Amino acid sequence: MSDDGRIALSLTLNGQPLEVDVAPCDTLLDLLRDQLGLTGTKKGCDMGACGACTVLANGRRIKSCLALAAAYDGEAIITIEGIGTLEHPHPLQAAFIRHDALQCGYCTPGQILSGIALLEDKPRALAAISEGMSGNLCRCGAYPNIVAAIAELAGL
Amino acid sequence: MNPQSTPRWEAALKVTGQAVFPAEVQAEGLLHAVLVGAPIASGQVLSIDAAQARLTPGFADLVSYPEAEPLRASSVTALIREPVIYFPGQPVALVVAESLIAARAAAHAVRVTYEQQPAVSALDQVLDQAYAPAMAGRIPAASRRGDSETALADAYLVVRERYETAVNNHHPMEPHAVVCSWDGALVTVHTNTQAVFGTRAAIAHAFRMPLEDARVIARFLGGGFGCKGQLWWPWMMLAMLASRRTGRPVRLELTRAQLFTLAGRRQETVQDMALGFGVDGRLTAIEHHVLAQTSANAEYSDTTAGVSRWLYACPNVTTSHRLVRTNEPQPIPMRAPGVAPGTFALESALDEAAMRLGLDPVDLRARNYADHDQDAGRPWSSNNLLECYRVGAERFGWSRRPAPGTAIDGCWRIGWGMATTCYPAHRQPCRARVRLEADASLLVQCGTQDMGSGTYTVMGQMAAEALGVPMSRVTVELGDTLLPEGPFSGGSQVTASLSPAVAMATTALRGRLAAMAVADPESPLAGYKPEDLDFENGMIRARTSNVAEPLADLLARREPEGLEAEGSSDGPDREGQAFTGMGFGAVFVEVGVDPDLGETRVRRVCGAFAAGRILNPLLANSQYVGGLIGGIGMALHERTVTDRASGRILGDGFADYLIPTHADIPRFDIAMVEEHDPLLPGGVKGIGMLGTAGVQAAIANAVFHAVGKRVRHLPIRIEDLIGD
Amino acid sequence: MSGPAFGYCRAADAGDALIQGARPGAAFLAGGTDLMQLWKMGVATPDRVVDISRLPLSAVTADGSRLSIGALARLSDVAAHPLVSRDYPLIAQAILAGASGQIRNMATVGGNLLQRTRCPYFRTEDLACNKRMAGSGCGALAGQNRQSALFGASAACVATHVSDLAVALMALDARVEILGLGGPRRLGLSGFYRLPGDTPERETNLASGELITGVSVDSGDRFATRSTYLKVRDRASFEFAVVSVAAALQLEDGVIVDARLAAGGVAPMPWRLVRGEAALIGRRPDAPAFAAAGALAVEGAKPLAHNGFKIELLRRAVIRALETVTAQTAAAQTIGGDA
Ligand SMILES: Cc1cc2nc3c(=O)[nH]c(=O)nc-3n(C[C@H](O)[C@H](O)[C@H](O)COP(=O)(O)OP(=O)(O)OC[C@H]3O[C@@H](n4cnc5c(N)ncnc54)[C@H](O)[C@@H]3O)c2cc1C
Ligand code: SF4
Ligand code: FES
Ligand code: FES
Repeated sequence: MSDDGRIALSLTLNGQPLEVDVAPCDTLLDLLRDQLGLTGTKKGCDMGACGACTVLANGRRIKSCLALAAAYDGEAIITIEGIGTLEHPHPLQAAFIRHDALQCGYCTPGQILSGIALLEDKPRALAAISEGMSGNLCRCGAYPNIVAAIAELAGL
Repeated sequence: MNPQSTPRWEAALKVTGQAVFPAEVQAEGLLHAVLVGAPIASGQVLSIDAAQARLTPGFADLVSYPEAEPLRASSVTALIREPVIYFPGQPVALVVAESLIAARAAAHAVRVTYEQQPAVSALDQVLDQAYAPAMAGRIPAASRRGDSETALADAYLVVRERYETAVNNHHPMEPHAVVCSWDGALVTVHTNTQAVFGTRAAIAHAFRMPLEDARVIARFLGGGFGCKGQLWWPWMMLAMLASRRTGRPVRLELTRAQLFTLAGRRQETVQDMALGFGVDGRLTAIEHHVLAQTSANAEYSDTTAGVSRWLYACPNVTTSHRLVRTNEPQPIPMRAPGVAPGTFALESALDEAAMRLGLDPVDLRARNYADHDQDAGRPWSSNNLLECYRVGAERFGWSRRPAPGTAIDGCWRIGWGMATTCYPAHRQPCRARVRLEADASLLVQCGTQDMGSGTYTVMGQMAAEALGVPMSRVTVELGDTLLPEGPFSGGSQVTASLSPAVAMATTALRGRLAAMAVADPESPLAGYKPEDLDFENGMIRARTSNVAEPLADLLARREPEGLEAEGSSDGPDREGQAFTGMGFGAVFVEVGVDPDLGETRVRRVCGAFAAGRILNPLLANSQYVGGLIGGIGMALHERTVTDRASGRILGDGFADYLIPTHADIPRFDIAMVEEHDPLLPGGVKGIGMLGTAGVQAAIANAVFHAVGKRVRHLPIRIEDLIGD
Repeated sequence: MSGPAFGYCRAADAGDALIQGARPGAAFLAGGTDLMQLWKMGVATPDRVVDISRLPLSAVTADGSRLSIGALARLSDVAAHPLVSRDYPLIAQAILAGASGQIRNMATVGGNLLQRTRCPYFRTEDLACNKRMAGSGCGALAGQNRQSALFGASAACVATHVSDLAVALMALDARVEILGLGGPRRLGLSGFYRLPGDTPERETNLASGELITGVSVDSGDRFATRSTYLKVRDRASFEFAVVSVAAALQLEDGVIVDARLAAGGVAPMPWRLVRGEAALIGRRPDAPAFAAAGALAVEGAKPLAHNGFKIELLRRAVIRALETVTAQTAAAQTIGGDA
């Protein structure tokens, strides 16, 4: 910890090594959005209850608004910016577009990261996708199309 | 896929996280703002002591009543200019600091003293003070046609019941935010508003500045549903004041908890319904009296009883709205305002009547079909409700409806229910600009904003189709007061308002292009008649032969700078007298109720809707489904709870204010009944709200069908179904 | 609004954690999913958080018939662990019924047992709440109390404990392994938690600065084929229980020889329904026995204005859970499982 109380972290962020200072009480979400300008990760509730801030940490989906940044030192973080680009979208991003799995788009990055992590578990039924995605709220009600997009990639 | 079902124009930006929402606009030297809320429900601010706050590291400024005083007085600025507390949590000051954490610490250190006054924390505490407002939404609060008292006295059957709905909050996933900065007298305001032009007007009025000096930008909105409007403006203006005083950009973001208090709510209702019927099941009388909450500082009433005036044929109808003032947050329109709670009462009561009359619920409704708008005494511009009943019933399989209480699936009792929905077709004045670049790509511009309902897409599509340009060559710009003025997003009216304006612009462009082509000796189309030309796939083509010319060639020769046209449309007032525009629908629902544990889950929904011309079936389907899901939330989950002792809202987050999750979502089948409306411009009606109403009653009716319990309030919860 | 800024340090090992944790104003941070919420709400105001998340206390092991789960094991790892999913499905079910995939990836077993109540008065700054501010009164008692307790409450506090995992562990007679500066000790889960009495701010008998190192269950695997976790809630997922029941039976010759019933959402701690259990012992697993267990399970329940429905709900949930357990047995029999 430095004199001003800031903490030096080394992360792998979207595949790139990153050295960065954080305040002890910064969340990973604060770090991403406010400090690094990676605003693809959304803040919907800041209390763990909506899923808009979902990112992958060492391959597992977490809610970055409840993750104390300092505690993730050394981990590999993947955000929506590291998933795909306009030119080369991830297959799930492409499926979201095809299935119209978004309206306002605010929950969308979180839904996609959560979906990517869920697909690793190889869900075998639509109900397993719905249950597995229930930590990601969508107020516009894009739910059925989100499930359809994930189901397509799950081969269901 | 239907060729009109082009994917959402901005989808790629949103799925990659590249779409920048207003809170995310980067600004050099940004200060972070935090609101200081009053803990009391009613009273006066006596003093604000910022001495401690000023000492906290990173503190930059505090603005409060004295700083806001110079703003011009209005209903918008009243809350920040006058130190009167009307509801708990009402902001009394705004602190800006170098970081959010510093701003929070400074806000904590602000000492405010109050003179507390007695407060009303619930509607039922002051029922005797209920009063009748003049207006309920856009219509007079009371109505009377015929003589419902006599008709009820003479009726063959009377259903007289009370229905209640809870307070709901909008909760778009993106909280309200502003990033603002001043450049001398000019201000740029990035804010997620449903009305960039209305916001600009409010700013110009409050800050006593010309409209042109304020620019409001909302490229993307993470939902709105009615709450991203004027109730947000006072807090936004506090941030603007702080920005002006410090000379630095300021960002204010509401917290999720603040969305319960500072951005509006769907008002709580108590609705007394009386329906009278003849032996034939025809309605002879409707009485619909609504009591609802409004705030201590402003008056608002939904058009809750409106549906009872117009939805069915009935000679004797009396409706009224009364309000009770409480020290609670201000209600405003929310998803299908009025119609959602109103149809819950009306369509539940009709279901009760169908039971007692021994009639099928669909049949009962069809018998009472209104072939014109009896309230206004004029024809519908179109009304295909009967077709909605037929199509919906058929697709749902309604004719195989089991006897009540007989269908069982494991622990679940299965119930089927249905209801009618409707929503008025609104429109507003609108301007749009369409520009054809020299390379035959299209730029379509309107200042209106897209809340997520698909405005980018349908607007691009309207222009692209008219000019035969592929969607991949279309750029759409929205959400900026520097663009041509468009409507606010609300009441499902944006598409209907845009459609004639875009049509006017594209018609002008087509006319100019066609004239250019036929008059240009270098064009293969020289000498053809302009009216014989078609625009498709980037070409102008003669209908009478296979001669064609790429648009880009023509433009390169004749208009190398590109070509543009503006279109505009008026509000509905001119023709508004002659007919009523309204969308209609029928919603069929299957629920499962666990009679032992009281859990209710919706399993299947079929909605058949007739709402004019559908521009993009893919997006329209999403809109309907989204609306229905909102309605499911209202029916089974959503309820804002106030502590009566303190007047404070309890459980102000998504862990307590339940909205449907993925796991709550049924199978949907949406039928869009084709409708050619010759009277409405472009034949377009709004669709967003239509799906949000009706489904609440359909669910309550299905619950009754499943387990024989009539729940007359929303949300329907476990405790309503496990008692005896 | 969030509490004041805090400092951060990472514990090098368990001993370091105890030393750091002994300093006044220190709070352990495991997954952080509850602590961060409480800090943001202004309810927890640590001066310094001591990050214990990387201490090597996350193993799931079996030693004879004892299952041990490290306190820092993540809930999702515990639920997915073969020992747990095979021999302790009750634990896996309870975990998977709680929170969401993302939170279960972060949340730890120790943190889950220590999560604070969801009573909205507790989680709203400046409302009357004895648990948050001793002596300020109990807002829920005469206020909104749908989620309040039926059992074990006091005039000072009627809040419920909301962990799902803890209900399953209570049914299995789990013990909490504790490490303090004075050495290790072990408490049964029922002795670990405290009833509010006059001191609702103290929820457990964990001394300040003590570390939970793990939980252990002895010979719980005998319930492997006859247990269930039933969670009743308003929506289908991602919600705390309105009422939940963990039920486990052991049968010999078609007769119940051991029965475990615990309930969540009804008391200040996971609540063993001992009278309900007693009603089952020595009986065949049939409807009359279940009805008797249900009726006895709710004896002594004390309702408040808005939570009375939970008495009947709990009675029915107990019966449903027992029915589910026996239906499983029947299914196991038909596919040739042990009878
Ligand atoms: C939206 C949401 C929904 C949820 N739904 C559910 C649900 O349905 N069911 C359910 O059971 N839970 C639910 N939870 C709660 C969640 O499971 C808990 O927050 C989580 O289990 C806490 O674990 P943690 O490791 O993150 O604890 P932390 O937040 O790190 O710690 C919690 C407390 O325990 C202390 N602590 C942690 N570990 C130790 C230790 N080893 N020794 C001593 N002290 C320790 C900390 O100091 C702190 O005081 C939900 C949470 C959220 C945010
Ligand atoms: S029940 Fe307990 S936690 Fe809730 S308000 Fe009362 S004292 Fe506080
Ligand atoms: S912002 Fe993290 S869960 Fe809502
Ligand atoms: S698309 Fe708007 S919240 Fe999900």
